Amino acid sequence: MASSLKILDAACLLKKCHWQNGLCPLFRPLVDSCNLKWYSSYRRPGTPPDRTPPWKKIDFSFQKGVEGIKTHFGRLVKEVTDHVKGPEGRPLKQYMLEQTKVAWEFRSQEDLEKWVISSDVEIGGKSEIYMQLGKNNQSALVYGNINTTVPRDGETRYSGYCSMRSKPRLVAFDRKKPYDWSNFNTLVLRVRGDGRPWMINIYTDPYFSHQKNDIYNYFMFTRGGPYWEEIKIPFSKFFFTSRGRIQDNQHALWLDKISTLGFTIADQVNGPFQLEIDFIGLFCDAAHSEETAYELYERNPKK
Amino acid sequence: MNPYIMSILICNLALGAIITAASYHWFLAWVGLELNTLAIIPILAKHHHPRATEAATKYFIIQATASSIILFSSIINAWNTGTWDITQLTTQPTPTMLLIALAMKLGLAPMHFWLPEVMQGTDMTTALIIATWQKLPPMALLYLTSNQFQMVLLSLLAISSTLIGGWSGLNQTQLRKIMAFSSIGHLGWMISISLISKKLLILTLIIYLLMTTSMFIILITSTTKTTKDLGMMWTTSPTLSSIMMITLMALGGLPPLTGFIPKWLILKELTTNLLLPLATTLALSSLLSLMFYMRLTYVSTLTISPNTSNSPMKWRFKLTKPINPAPMIITTLLLIPITPLIY
Repeated sequence: MASSLKILDAACLLKKCHWQNGLCPLFRPLVDSCNLKWYSSYRRPGTPPDRTPPWKKIDFSFQKGVEGIKTHFGRLVKEVTDHVKGPEGRPLKQYMLEQTKVAWEFRSQEDLEKWVISSDVEIGGKSEIYMQLGKNNQSALVYGNINTTVPRDGETRYSGYCSMRSKPRLVAFDRKKPYDWSNFNTLVLRVRGDGRPWMINIYTDPYFSHQKNDIYNYFMFTRGGPYWEEIKIPFSKFFFTSRGRIQDNQHALWLDKISTLGFTIADQVNGPFQLEIDFIGLFCDAAHSEETAYELYERNPKK
Repeated sequence: MNPYIMSILICNLALGAIITAASYHWFLAWVGLELNTLAIIPILAKHHHPRATEAATKYFIIQATASSIILFSSIINAWNTGTWDITQLTTQPTPTMLLIALAMKLGLAPMHFWLPEVMQGTDMTTALIIATWQKLPPMALLYLTSNQFQMVLLSLLAISSTLIGGWSGLNQTQLRKIMAFSSIGHLGWMISISLISKKLLILTLIIYLLMTTSMFIILITSTTKTTKDLGMMWTTSPTLSSIMMITLMALGGLPPLTGFIPKWLILKELTTNLLLPLATTLALSSLLSLMFYMRLTYVSTLTISPNTSNSPMKWRFKLTKPINPAPMIITTLLLIPITPLIY
């Protein structure tokens, strides 16, 4: 294993030598397209890439292995029994009759464990985000501080964001199982904000890595009042972005393979923020027949 | 898509299948398979949706791999025997390699994982082409070379296809995926009889194509994509809803509908050849497929869903895609009396 990684390292070096010296211009098209790195291509801006070998990152433990086997086989049994019951482990009648569904609600610590919070600390920023259960365990309170101070690493130009994202649903042996929301056409959020605008991100886990940065976004404008508000956003309003940039070619969001939902705050305003979420649900609005709110025709036709 | 480009692609799709079916030399058969694959890729990716692109990429990788294995097996055979004749594939392990490659092309279990995802990622019309026309070239090669295969391997493929097609289809709510698993199940029946009676293989294939085409035409006409849409299909076309019930029963293989013919004749042939465990397993596993056909029937025709609809009389509006399903449906339902003529 270590020797093969060293060979890959050597090949990387060889690739660089060829490119820089220009000794073999004939081989350049062959070596340019191949990606010989065995470590992840992501690196935190301002830091060198993380070249820790994979085996050093895993915590090997017999106890952990036994627990893992019990957990995963338990999930496998549940998966098989749910398969017999019906779609998503519920009887077909329930699937046919449902018009509303609560996708996530926050009533216990386990519900909070299904979410991941992050901020620009990953890139060297100073924003903070925390999540805890609200009063009487009836909601989740997401709060923190946005700090737009740009980290001084010579690369980053903007900073100041915080986000929370749901973890993908996992079945036995950590396989991802996307949600099928094709029965519904509206996202319903019961929230109590502080007037700051948030962005909702829906990630439909693609199979190929070319599309791993594709996300569907829409805005959530909160009121600052003491009253709860129910925000209904049709899925047709979500626009398609990749790496945060809105794409020219828009299309409808397909709801049969939803992986994660996330909230991001990045409104370039320094200061504290707070959002209380009661539940995130789905609703089938029979009066809403729009498939996508954006033009689908080619706006800059090539001639 | 530009209509000229579309017509060229469809012509090439047809040409590829015909070249494969009409070929004698392995190389020409491979050329036909590749032409077929390349012609359908732009059709799959027509809508430029990320899911369509994903389906096209998956389809291309699978089909190209299978075609290369087919070519590889023919090259090994040519190296050992000196002949490129399709019917003379005798050197082991080339028939086994060819069978695995054809299973990959057709979507037989356990090489079936691509089929539901590819069909789900495209629109209904393209899914119809994948489920029907794209089965013809590999079936042609299977017809020509089935004498060389081992019954054990064929039986394993047949049993796994019918069981997996039935089991996996139980939980589905997306209609294209249901049709994909239905296709896997039917292909299992076809492969089980390929060594014993080629005539029955062709008959099963033709009846499968008729039934699947009828079903897809009904789904395209009523623009239904999920089981829930089926619950409101009666508002679009009550007649089509009732006909769909009977078509689903035909797909399930219930007498006195056409779908019963292949099951009956295959079981007869298998029992005549004393392959009783295979026959019993196939018959029992077809119950799983019947379960999800019955589920669709229950939801679409036997019950009226209480879901609200803006218009309970959508049948008053003209259908957007008025394809005439009548000839297909008649052949799907009423061919049993002429069974002695066709077999």
